[in-house]
Amino acid sequence: MNPDTAITRRSIDVRYVFMAIVGLFFLAVIVYPLSLVMIKSFSSEAGFTLENYAKIFSQDANIRALWNSVWVSCLSTLICVAAGTILAMLIVRTDIPYKSWLRMLLLLPYGIPPFIGAMAWAQLFGPVGYASKLYMSITGAMFAPWNIYSAAGVVLVLAVYQFPVVFITVSGALGRIDTSLEEAARMSGAGPFRTLIDVTLPLITPAITASALLAFVGCISNFGIPALLGFRARFFVLTTRIYSALSIPDMPLATAMAILLAIISGIPLILERRLERGKSKYTVIAGKSVRPQTMSFGGWRIPVFILVVLVALFAGVVPLLSMLLTSFLKYWGAPLELANMTSSHYKYILNLPMVTRAFRNSVFLAVSAATITMAVGALVSYMSVRAKIKGARTLDFIGTIPYAVPCTMVAIAMILAWSRPPVVLYGTIWVILAAYLVRYMPFSIRTTNATLQQVHVSLEEAARVSGAGWTQTMRDIVMPLIRPGLVAGWILVFMPALRELTMSVLLWSQGAETMGVVIYNMQDAGYTQIAAALSTLVLLVILAGNAVVRKLSKGEISI
Amino acid sequence: MEERIKVSNLVKRFGTFTAVDDVSFAVHENEFFSLLGPSGCGKTTTLRCISGLEQPTEGDIYISGQLVTSPKRNVMVPPERRGIGMVFQNYAVWPHMTVEQNMSYPLRLAKTPKEKINRKMAYLLELLELQGLEKRFPSELSGGQQQRVALGRALSTDPKVMLLDEPLSNLDAKLREQMRFELKDLQRKTGISILYVTHDQVEAMAMSDRVAVMKSGAVVQEGAPHDIYEKPKDKFVADFIGTMNFVPCSVTGRTEQGVTIRLKSGVEFGIEGSSAHEGDYTLAIRPEDIILGTERGVECEVDVRIFLGNVIEYRVRIGEDLFRVQTNSSMRLEPGDRTRAFIQNGLVFPK
Ligand SMILES: Nc1ncnc2c1ncn2[C@@H]1O[C@H](COP(=O)(O)OP(=O)(O)OP(=O)(O)O)[C@@H](O)[C@H]1O
Ligand SMILES: [Mg+2]
Repeated sequence: MNPDTAITRRSIDVRYVFMAIVGLFFLAVIVYPLSLVMIKSFSSEAGFTLENYAKIFSQDANIRALWNSVWVSCLSTLICVAAGTILAMLIVRTDIPYKSWLRMLLLLPYGIPPFIGAMAWAQLFGPVGYASKLYMSITGAMFAPWNIYSAAGVVLVLAVYQFPVVFITVSGALGRIDTSLEEAARMSGAGPFRTLIDVTLPLITPAITASALLAFVGCISNFGIPALLGFRARFFVLTTRIYSALSIPDMPLATAMAILLAIISGIPLILERRLERGKSKYTVIAGKSVRPQTMSFGGWRIPVFILVVLVALFAGVVPLLSMLLTSFLKYWGAPLELANMTSSHYKYILNLPMVTRAFRNSVFLAVSAATITMAVGALVSYMSVRAKIKGARTLDFIGTIPYAVPCTMVAIAMILAWSRPPVVLYGTIWVILAAYLVRYMPFSIRTTNATLQQVHVSLEEAARVSGAGWTQTMRDIVMPLIRPGLVAGWILVFMPALRELTMSVLLWSQGAETMGVVIYNMQDAGYTQIAAALSTLVLLVILAGNAVVRKLSKGEISI
Repeated sequence: MEERIKVSNLVKRFGTFTAVDDVSFAVHENEFFSLLGPSGCGKTTTLRCISGLEQPTEGDIYISGQLVTSPKRNVMVPPERRGIGMVFQNYAVWPHMTVEQNMSYPLRLAKTPKEKINRKMAYLLELLELQGLEKRFPSELSGGQQQRVALGRALSTDPKVMLLDEPLSNLDAKLREQMRFELKDLQRKTGISILYVTHDQVEAMAMSDRVAVMKSGAVVQEGAPHDIYEKPKDKFVADFIGTMNFVPCSVTGRTEQGVTIRLKSGVEFGIEGSSAHEGDYTLAIRPEDIILGTERGVECEVDVRIFLGNVIEYRVRIGEDLFRVQTNSSMRLEPGDRTRAFIQNGLVFPK
C-alpha cells in the first residue's frame, strides 16, 4: 500500500478544479470573441451570406490593398532574408573583428517598436528629412530623389524591422552546424565557395525558410509602418484598409478582411511548424563537437568590417539619433542650428495630462497583461508538460491559437464581443486589456512550457518521496526553480505590451489612451517633434527593460 | 620505401599553449601508422595540420614528396588540393545527401565521367557492404553504416594517403572489433598509407605497422607495436601500453645477464636484460611475465582470483607488494594458497 495515495488523490482534484477554471477563462476570453469574427464575416441581417467576402473582391481598392499586402510582404521578406543570411554568415563564420558589438548593433531594430522606427525613417528620408536636406545641400537639387512616403518606403522599413528575426534564426543555425561537415567537403576537394553552396547552405535552408515564413507573417500583419508611411501616399495594405473600414464603420467588411488576413498569415505559420517538426531528418550521430571554424578574409577583413558597421549603423543607430535630434528641434523642418534647439518639448509632454494618463494606462495594461498571462500560462504548462493531465494539451492548443491571429483581428473580435450587454467593456481600458490577454497568451505559454521542460521531473518526484504534498512541492521545489524563467517571460510580455500600437489604436477611447496611441496621434496630427520626444522616452524605458532582462537571463534573452 | 607523409619539427601553438611540440615522423608506402596517446595530447591537432585544416606555427609537411605546409616558406596548400582522404571522428556524413551522393561527391567535384562514377560506386558499395542502402539518408543508417559511408567517401578518389581520427570511438565493442579487421583488410587490399589516430592502445597495437606514442604534444616513442610493448622507453609508455605492475625497488648488484632487485620487503630476485646501476628505481612487470607454481622463484601468496574467460587473473602478494598476474595455464590456485612465483621479465625505470 502506497502511503502517498491519499495525497495523490486530493492533489488530482485540485488540478482538475484549476483546469476547469482555465478552460472557462479561455472559452470566454479567446474562443468566444474570435469565433464571433468568423460568424460575423459570414452573416448579414438575413442570415448566412458570402456577400462580405464578395464585397472585398468587388471593390478595386480592396483588391489593390490585398495585392499590395502580398507583394510588399514578399519583397520585404526577400530583402531581409538576403541581408539577414549574408550578415549572419559574416558574423558567425568569418574573422571580422568586434563580432559581439556588431551583433548587438544589428539586433537594435529588434527592440524598437516598428511604428517608432517608421517615424524615425520618415525624419531621415521624408521630404524635409535630414538625409534629404543633406542631399539637396550637396547637389543643389530642389528635391531628394527618394520618397519615404511610398510603397518602396514601406517595403524598406518593413525589411529593416523584420530583419533581426532572420538574423537570429540563421546565425543560430550556423552556430549549431557541425563544422566537420564543412571540413569533410574541403577534404573531398571542394573549395571554400563550393563548400558554402553544397554543404553549408543546404544545412541552414530549413532555418532560412522558417525565418522567411515568420518574417512574411510579421510584414503582412504589421500596421504601424504602412499606416505612417502609406496613408500619405494613399498606399493601402490589408491592415490599414481594415482600419479604414472600421472607422467608417463597416463591420462586416472589416471582419471578412480580417479573416482573409488571418488565413494568409496562418498558412505560413502552419508551414513553419511543419518544418520545425521535420527537423529530425537532418540530425545524425553527433560525435565530439569540433571547434567552430571561421573563414579568413585576409586583406578584405577591414573593408568588409566597415561595410557591416555601416549597415548596422544605418539600420539601427542613425534612425534613433535622428529621432533624438528631432525631439530637441524647435519645429519640424527647422534648420539644424544650435539656436533652433530646445528641451521645451520634454517639459511640454511631461506636463500634458493626456501623456501622464497614457503612461499610467500603458504601465497598468502591461503589468496586468504580463501577470495574468504568466499565471495562466504557468498553470497550463504545468498541467500539460508536467502533470500530463488529459485535456491539458487541448488547453495548451487553445491558448496558442492567437499566435496565428493578426492583432487587427484580435481588436475586431474585442469590439464584437465586448460592446454589447451583458458585458460592455468597449470604451474603457478593459477592452484593451482583454485584447492583450488574447494576444500575449501564446507567448507566455511558450516561455512557461520551455521553462518547465528544463526542470526535471525527478526533482519533483524526489520531493514527493521525501514526504511533501503537491502544494508543498510546488512551493518549495517547482516555484524556486522556474522563477527566473517566469520573470524573464513576464518581461517578455510586459515590454511589447508597453509599446503596443495596433490593437490599442483600434480600441482606445478618451481617457483610455496608451503611449502608442498618443505617439501615433501626435505624429498623425503633424506634431513631429512632440512625437519624437515621446518616442525617445519610450525607447529609454525599453532600453532599461532590456538591460534588466539581460541581467536576469544572464544574456540569454533580450527583447 | 617512399615517404607518403613526412612531418618535420611540427609545432602548433594556440595562444601561449603549445598543443603540438616539435613532432617529426614519416609514414611510408603501404604503411598503417598510428598516433597513440591520452586525450588532449595533440593527436587531432597534428592530423588537422597534415590535412591542411589547421595552420601550424612551425614545421614542414610533405605529402608524397611535395611540400604542402611550411610557415617559414609561406607555403600552405589548401586542404582540397592535397589529395588526401579523411575520415572524421564523428564521420561528418552530410545529412542532406543520400549514401550515394555522399560517397560520389568527391568524384563529382573532380568532374569524373558518369559511367566511371557508377563503376566506382558499385565497387565501393560492395567493398563496404552497403548495397541496397544507396538511396538512404544518413539519419536512416546505423552508426556503423554511417562510418562505412564516410570511409567510402574518403576512398572514392583513390587517395594515396588517408587520415583517420578515432573513427571507431563511437561504435560498440563488437562492431569496433569487426571494423578493425575490415579497416586493416581494406588497407591491404587498396595498398594506401593510413595515418590513424586513437587513444585506444589495443586498437593501435592490433592494426598498426608502426606506432608513435604521444604525450603532451610530443612523440615519446616510435616503433613497431611489439617493440614498444616489450621495450617501452619510459614509465609513461610502459603504463600507457598494456597493463603493468609498478612497485618501488632498489638494484643491489649485477649478475651475468642482468641485475639483482630488492623489494621494500627485502625479497630479492634477478631480472635479465637490465644494466642499471645500484640505487632506487621503479620496477615494472607485465602480468603475463610472472609465472606461478614454479620450482624456482620467490615465495608468494594468492590474494584474489578473477576469471576473465580465456585467462585467469590473480592478485598475489610477494613480500609486502601486490602484483597482478595473468595466466592461461590450467592450474587452479585458491585465495590463501602459497606458491612460488618466477619473474620472467622486468624493467627498471628511474623513480
Ligand atoms: N583551437 C584551439 N584553441 C585552443 N586550444 C586548442 C585548440 N585545439 C586544440 N586545443 C588544445 O590542444 C590540445 C590538444 O588537442 P587535440 O584535439 O589535438 O587533442 P587529442 O589528442 O586529439 O585529444 P582527444 O583524444 O581527446 O581527441 C588540447 O589540450 C586542446 O585543449
Ligand atoms: Mg582528438
